Amino acid sequence: MKKVRDFMTRDLTSVTEETKLKDVAELLSMRALSGVPVVDHENRVVGYISEKDVILSMFPEKVKIENPDVIGLTNLTQVINRLGRVGDAKVADYMDKNIHIVSEGTSTSDLAEIMLQKDLKRVPVVRNRRLVGIVDRSSLSCILLEENGMEGVCR
Amino acid sequence: MFKLGKKKKEEPQDKKSILTVTLNPAFDHILFLPELKLGTFNRSPETFRMPGGKGVNVASSLAMMGQEVVATGFLGAQGSRMFEESLRKIGVTTAFVYVNQEIRTDFFVIEDNKNRQSLIVEKGIPIELRYLNGFKANFERLLPSTELVEFGGSFPEGVSCGFLKELVREANKKNIKTVLNLKEKTLTECMEGISAFLVYPDLRESKRMFGQDIYRPKDRLKIVEELQKHGAEIVMLKYGNLNYLVATKDEIWEGEIELGESKIMIGIRDAVLAGFISKYLETNNLGEALKYGLGAGRSTAKNKRNHPNSKKEIEEFVLMAKVKKVS
Repeated sequence: MKKVRDFMTRDLTSVTEETKLKDVAELLSMRALSGVPVVDHENRVVGYISEKDVILSMFPEKVKIENPDVIGLTNLTQVINRLGRVGDAKVADYMDKNIHIVSEGTSTSDLAEIMLQKDLKRVPVVRNRRLVGIVDRSSLSCILLEENGMEGVCR
Repeated sequence: MFKLGKKKKEEPQDKKSILTVTLNPAFDHILFLPELKLGTFNRSPETFRMPGGKGVNVASSLAMMGQEVVATGFLGAQGSRMFEESLRKIGVTTAFVYVNQEIRTDFFVIEDNKNRQSLIVEKGIPIELRYLNGFKANFERLLPSTELVEFGGSFPEGVSCGFLKELVREANKKNIKTVLNLKEKTLTECMEGISAFLVYPDLRESKRMFGQDIYRPKDRLKIVEELQKHGAEIVMLKYGNLNYLVATKDEIWEGEIELGESKIMIGIRDAVLAGFISKYLETNNLGEALKYGLGAGRSTAKNKRNHPNSKKEIEEFVLMAKVKKVS
């Protein structure tokens, strides 16, 4: 059975707790990502910030009563105006600190279990807590298909 | 797997990586033609694209040797996904800073019937101050897990010698070895006030450095001495298409690379450096490291890509590489 190191994306794209939310929004948009790990000054993972966290920062009151997955999409001008206001806020105030990380030696079955159980889209991969890559649902699903006899699915 | 904050048994101390910095990378577009006809229609029967730039070439070569390597630099966001994916596919870890611009492209035209290569390079993308600050912070975060930093290639608009010097000093402060693989003109302008573990000037355009001619043996030694005065522990020089020299204060080695029938010269010079670095970090032996570099260069010459074919092929060519100690 394959391990995380065999199929993780070897990419260290990340932000720090000091990064401004507007820079996170730009980064996520440029890279077409749903979120990135938050690291300290030695690249150790300390949290995760997603596009949802960025949107939540704009609608703090509304989130409590409405479904956060659909907010922000009804009025783009409102979103832009709010982002203008909270854009200079720091990642530290909005990131998720209660996150899951995996090591390179984690098996595909263990990874699949945690991603499904916790409904995770992307999971940082660490070595001695330092970021060395990331695994996401698409790379996991393609590796599971390959392990079950469907060769050539993964790029 | 574990949750952040929960105690977990510490993993064994990890091996440190080599970090390559390419401030002005480009997608290399290789177009093969029987013959380039100017002012009219040309159809290329074979084309391919690959990530390029001096540092990127070094990173690709190191990954083929099984080294743990991280590539960083500025990358135009539009069109760069394939660039990074190609690097990761061969084992390079990417840590590029995206700039809200289109990725730079270089065009290589290789004419089979004429045995000729032409290169058209695009101007680099302009880098705003906020991206420079972001890059520096990102660079500093990568240093704790880095053994050696290689700086390669040209500067894009908005990046100056001062910025390079800041990065080199930051690495030196943390006792991390630095390699300067830069054009002679850039190196001459930027090396004042900084010192590097290894200096490898690119003399393909100028053929001269410090007023000395790279093709004259006595002049080459003067270039070596001058670079050593600037603090270089090791000096590496390439002269002509085939000849390489490496020197410390104690010894000088020379070697000649065999290129066979290779028509594509892209990346050979950088693969020799990568091979040298890889072996020298392992053995501290100048002659062995040069041999390994020449093996890597020859394997790259056999490959259409800008890196060696495989570690196995490098090792086969190393057995045939000829080097000699000249002092």
